[in-house]
Amino acid sequence: MLDVSRVQKELMECNRDKAISGVSIVLHDGGSDLSHLSGTITGPVGTPYEGGTFQIDISLPSGYPFEPPKMQFITKVWHPNISSQNGAICLDILKDQWSPALTLKTALLSLQALLSAPEPDDPQDAVVAQQYLREYPTFVATARYWTEVFAKRTSVGIEEKVQKLVEMGFSEDLVKNTLESVNGDENMALEKLCSG
Amino acid sequence: MGLIKAEGGEGVGLGEGLEGVSGRWEVAKVVVVGDRAGGRDFPLLAMVCTFYQKGMCSYGSRCRYDHVKVSHHQASASSSSSNSLPYVASDSVQITYPLMDALNGEFKAASSAPKELTASSKPFVPPGKPAWTQTFEIHTFPENQGGHVPMAVRLADLPICSFAAAGSCPHGEKCPHIHGDLCSICEKHCLHPYRPDERVEHIKLCQKNNKRLEALKLSQEIECSVCLDRVLSKPTAAERKFGLLSECDHPFCISCIRNWRSNSPASGMDVNNAVRACPICRKISYFVIPSVIWYSTKEEKQEIIDNYKAKLKSIDCKYFDFGNGTCPFGTSCFYRHTYKPHAKRPPNFRPCTYRPRQVVVAEEAIENIVRELVIEEELVDLARQLVIEEEELGDLDTEDIGSFLGMSALLMQLGFDDWDSFSDDEN
Repeated sequence: MLDVSRVQKELMECNRDKAISGVSIVLHDGGSDLSHLSGTITGPVGTPYEGGTFQIDISLPSGYPFEPPKMQFITKVWHPNISSQNGAICLDILKDQWSPALTLKTALLSLQALLSAPEPDDPQDAVVAQQYLREYPTFVATARYWTEVFAKRTSVGIEEKVQKLVEMGFSEDLVKNTLESVNGDENMALEKLCSG
Repeated sequence: MGLIKAEGGEGVGLGEGLEGVSGRWEVAKVVVVGDRAGGRDFPLLAMVCTFYQKGMCSYGSRCRYDHVKVSHHQASASSSSSNSLPYVASDSVQITYPLMDALNGEFKAASSAPKELTASSKPFVPPGKPAWTQTFEIHTFPENQGGHVPMAVRLADLPICSFAAAGSCPHGEKCPHIHGDLCSICEKHCLHPYRPDERVEHIKLCQKNNKRLEALKLSQEIECSVCLDRVLSKPTAAERKFGLLSECDHPFCISCIRNWRSNSPASGMDVNNAVRACPICRKISYFVIPSVIWYSTKEEKQEIIDNYKAKLKSIDCKYFDFGNGTCPFGTSCFYRHTYKPHAKRPPNFRPCTYRPRQVVVAEEAIENIVRELVIEEELVDLARQLVIEEEELGDLDTEDIGSFLGMSALLMQLGFDDWDSFSDDEN
């Protein structure tokens, strides 16, 4: 039986300081099933994942907390220990090193730590691991690009978009208004600006 | 307030009445009805006057006690010791001192009529004490001088006022009894001024209780690191227990830690280490100690462990079965290994000292063997018996019956004769 009271306590505890910790957990799709959650972690500063927000699908087995939670990245990540195909994670504490004293929050924080300290010798994704070991600069560039493309919300980095469009020769006020009207989509805004 | 109903009174009639019960009689039974004053019951047994039996009661017709003739044999029995009195109502306390109102001078002829007795005038006297040790202070009761209570005043023999000991005495300064000194721990006037041994004992007891109370208060706050609940706030009494690990000091409730240790883990888990390890620090502990209280010092923990081991040592090991069975834990078993006189000792029996665990048996291998063996009826019966015994033991640490069974089965299968290499684990 899933320990419901523990899960509820964990959710409260985790979301209390999400601004500081950078991790948060909500029920999956706003449903009411406590065994299916989704977690969010922010990319650690000073890594190619900086500025990204990563979604993680969490499903709790009935034996939780005596069995580890099942976690998988929903957001695509370029990382030696995370499958670039399906987001599967290779992390010992989610497998044989799980302990009931660990919580969902500590597991998510461990994932955050994994992003800053990849283990290419124990890879989940061999291609990424090869690249990490042989062509590190390429790896960093790819990881940063993936973060940019998949892990950044449209609302994030609106200042940069404004800056970009302003550099193209449009007035700042106009750019801001246009961006707002298209919900922050850079390409749509450019199209609108060019046509109007 | 209490009512005294005296039964009997006439020697012959009383004798006839009680003959059927015990054949011996001499006590006129007096029962205090509904005496709840001061929160205490004072059941009383009034006596036939023993001095009258010897023909020397100086109170004569004014005596509080029944002046009836009984046979010489019974009279001597009654005068020798109050403890030897043969007939005592089971729920009554036998008290042989003169009642207080008699001492206060309200001497009335003994009668069987119901009589008012003020509860507050009765001192607390330990039951079973003979009358002549209740030497009341003479200056308080001058009319007692030359009375039928032989006076050998020893202050240490005086009882202390029970009302003062319980809280407050309605008589205050005027109370005829000694008021005990204040115990600083329990804050009651219950230290007898003239009994140093009792004082020391009381203070010791008080300190022990106090310590336990403090520990219990601290324990209330302790949360189980697995279920994140306060252990002592769990819904059922069975759950309100800590599971102490022998090697570290992390708190868990007994059900969580047992659940974790007996967990059939997810694939790839290293059963022998991961599950035996503390969930927090991963230090491996080979046994769990149930305790209702959390400890704050090493000594306290050791005391809990010692008590637990002593408790287990008083229970016969069901695997050893008085020498008829074999215990996988050998000489390091926590339970008692005793031979019945008729049981045969194994030829190579020798008392061994503890040797550390050397062989680690993979759980999978055990399970396979158990599965193979389980068809045998004997083993099924054994398993059933084990389960029943486990349930009976209830309170004790009885983890993982399956692996016990598995281990002994494996031992049988492999023909191991060196039991001791399997050191104690979860027994």
